[in-house]
Amino acid sequence: MAKPAKKLVIVTEKVLLKKIAKIIDESGATGYTVVETGGKGSRNVRSSGQPIVSDTQANVKFEILTPDRDMAEDIADQVAVKFFLDYAGMIYICDAEVLYGHSFCGPDGC
Amino acid sequence: MDFWSFFVMDFVKQLQSPTLAFLIGGMVIAALGSELVIPESICAIIVFMLLTKIGLTGGIAIRNSNLADMVLPMICAVVVGITVVFIARYTLAKLPKVKVVDAIATGGLFGAVSGSTMAAGLTVLEEQKISYEAWAGALYPFMDIPALVTAIVVANIYLNKKKHRAAAKATKQEYLSKQPIAAGDYADKQDYPSSRQEYLSQQQAPADNRVKIWPIIEESLRGPALSAMLLGLALGIFTQPESVYKSFYDPLFRGLLSILMLVMGMEAWSRIGELRKVAQWYVVYSVVAPFIHGLLAFGLGMIAHYTMNFSMGGVVILAVIAASSSDISGPPTLRAGIPSANPSAYIGASTAIGTPIAIGLCIPFFVGLAQAIGGL
Repeated sequence: MAKPAKKLVIVTEKVLLKKIAKIIDESGATGYTVVETGGKGSRNVRSSGQPIVSDTQANVKFEILTPDRDMAEDIADQVAVKFFLDYAGMIYICDAEVLYGHSFCGPDGC
Repeated sequence: MDFWSFFVMDFVKQLQSPTLAFLIGGMVIAALGSELVIPESICAIIVFMLLTKIGLTGGIAIRNSNLADMVLPMICAVVVGITVVFIARYTLAKLPKVKVVDAIATGGLFGAVSGSTMAAGLTVLEEQKISYEAWAGALYPFMDIPALVTAIVVANIYLNKKKHRAAAKATKQEYLSKQPIAAGDYADKQDYPSSRQEYLSQQQAPADNRVKIWPIIEESLRGPALSAMLLGLALGIFTQPESVYKSFYDPLFRGLLSILMLVMGMEAWSRIGELRKVAQWYVVYSVVAPFIHGLLAFGLGMIAHYTMNFSMGGVVILAVIAASSSDISGPPTLRAGIPSANPSAYIGASTAIGTPIAIGLCIPFFVGLAQAIGGL
């Protein structure tokens, strides 16, 4: 059986990686996935493929599965309030159904 | 007259030296739209190798030298790092269309040190057979950290003052604007937050306004450039790394530096576009500032030269690291420390103009100056 969940996606600057990871950990989420990304948005093209000497210009994308909407919104609010006035960022939420995931579903599976 | 002939000769020599040639080459191919990409991980390993080598050189030298000789040059480095930020605060920040926080961040970045420029400077001195204290590279952190800390502290003090002033003004206005309004007239809108984010940030208690200095120092020490360099320094002082130094770090140094210079050239060209979006005054500042900062350090270095017998080569290195602006460890620290400053302004000014000027013009300029004064 699939377990319903919310998928929270945060796309933001790489400099914030550790700080956002800390917020997610403290919110009680079981885990998260981070990928390096590039793309185009209101703050122009931000790529990760260029020969960049400093890492400040790269972007990362967090994906977090949460059991309910409240936890997702709590994370989103904290991140937005702390960082998004000064840093580039975008947060959205999707419905998800988890099929397999030991840590998320529990020892017996979903 | 002597000085100018030395400078021109050094400059022409520099043009043919791999350091500057690769930098210009990188700019040219980037301008022509080349698709050459040097992977980021290679840049990271090059930066690590260069700074570890400089650290090891310094560490080995410190082991065999008198610590007392280092005190005055270190004080000079700290003074220059701090002064540079205040120079930016009271010149660049006063110019039209320049935001004060952006100016302070730019000052911090120009006060911080570029490992690649320092490596290029050391290479030039070696090529010209000018002797210098081998530990001079160890002055790096003494200029880098004070500059970044000063910039972040000054910027936060400024921002807090501004916030308090705005808050005081807002309460006054609120008091004045609460006049009775005619029924049905909804034009006089209250300042309701327009978005959820704004609302939530208003709900937050005013954050504690003191700037904490230790986390900034910690962050710059942990940055890739400084930690590589300090590791090298420690290994040089406490262990006997001579064999690996001679067989690996020293022979590869120049080749790797040339690749890094190529990357810096490409990077500089791609940042020029960003710099166009901010005020033109950044261009003026980033051309003039490396010379002023370098001359300041040169002057202080001369005091050390006359009192403590600091070599002229060492004075040149001090001037070169003062002229350089950080491009590896500085930007992330500033981005985290002064989030409201516009990175296009400070990274653009430093990488697109500051670094090429420091490597191409300032190194021959200070070598020439030292030759004219010190008769090297």
